[in-house]
Amino acid sequence: MIGDVRVVAEPMAPGGGCHLFSGCGFPSPGLQSFDFKPLFSIGSFPFTKPMLIALLCAAAVIVFFWAAFAKPKLVPRGVQNIGEIAILAVRDQILRPSLGRKGDTYLPFLVSLFFFIWFMNLMELIPLFQFPAMSRIGFVWPLVAMVYLLYLYLGFKHQGFPGYIKNMIPWDVPFFVLPILIPIELIRFFVFQPFTLGVRLFGNMFAGHLLLSIFILATWYLASFSVGLLYAAGSAAMVFFVFGLELLIDLLQAFIFTTLTAVYIASSLESAH
Amino acid sequence: MSSGNDASTRAQKGAAAQGRARGLDIGWTVFGYLISGMLAYGGIGWLIGRAVHVALLFPVGMLVGLAISIGFIIYRYGKQGAVTRSPRKGDDR
Repeated sequence: MIGDVRVVAEPMAPGGGCHLFSGCGFPSPGLQSFDFKPLFSIGSFPFTKPMLIALLCAAAVIVFFWAAFAKPKLVPRGVQNIGEIAILAVRDQILRPSLGRKGDTYLPFLVSLFFFIWFMNLMELIPLFQFPAMSRIGFVWPLVAMVYLLYLYLGFKHQGFPGYIKNMIPWDVPFFVLPILIPIELIRFFVFQPFTLGVRLFGNMFAGHLLLSIFILATWYLASFSVGLLYAAGSAAMVFFVFGLELLIDLLQAFIFTTLTAVYIASSLESAH
Repeated sequence: MSSGNDASTRAQKGAAAQGRARGLDIGWTVFGYLISGMLAYGGIGWLIGRAVHVALLFPVGMLVGLAISIGFIIYRYGKQGAVTRSPRKGDDR
């Protein structure tokens, strides 16, 4: 089925000649835009473009911070300047507001997390890559698992297992209300929080990529010597608008994910949520 | 004079960042209670409904869960100053 749609979608590429009034309908982008043929296979394991993007992003984060801090100078110059600004931004805008100075231990983790997610998201706007790997939910769940396992580990370590379970219960309500609230707290803690942490990032990236694809394809499809040219201009304007919006959303989603991670860590380190 | 201004600007930025983090936390916590209430009591209603063959207990459970969540949110976050609590002793944020 996906293969069939691809056959229809291929003429939409520049030079394909599928335009308004040319007899072929608009093959709007859909789930097929998120499927890639393997670049190569290692045994039965197919290696796809999103995997390549994820590897390159991880490498980019490592190389950038390696270049910035391999030989740090007292007076920062060049890449070290940018590296320090990047680290201070995460520290002052994400870590310190939630964790305070005692949370500085977690700065390397939060910096890595923030920049990895941001780079992965930004890939949707970089020509040739033009795909946010986070729009494949398989890349999001490992991050959520990492954050949530750390959250639980720190909670058990700092509060003890009985203390941690005790602190999950909202003791500030009248005693007879407690049994009513416990199922809600359990669902919120074990289902809702990890689910939304992942789905928020995935959903935003998925929708953003779809929106950009729709307007880019529509611009090409509508561009013809007819009234469609007017609509093509409108669609092209939307491409620039959505591009700008996505620049913001890419950063915002990385910020939200990392901030919530910091908030979760803070609640694990404290005696009560 | 300028160092005093710098310190004040830094403090303002710190407070703004802290407000953002707290707002994000509380916003998602409140939303979490609303959805979790419906899920928890919707699930309980569905289970009981399955046992006694009354399908209506599923939506009723969801509504009950929603009502409990709203009540709890008002109880916890509806009080004046509940969100902008004063920093605890030793809090260096």
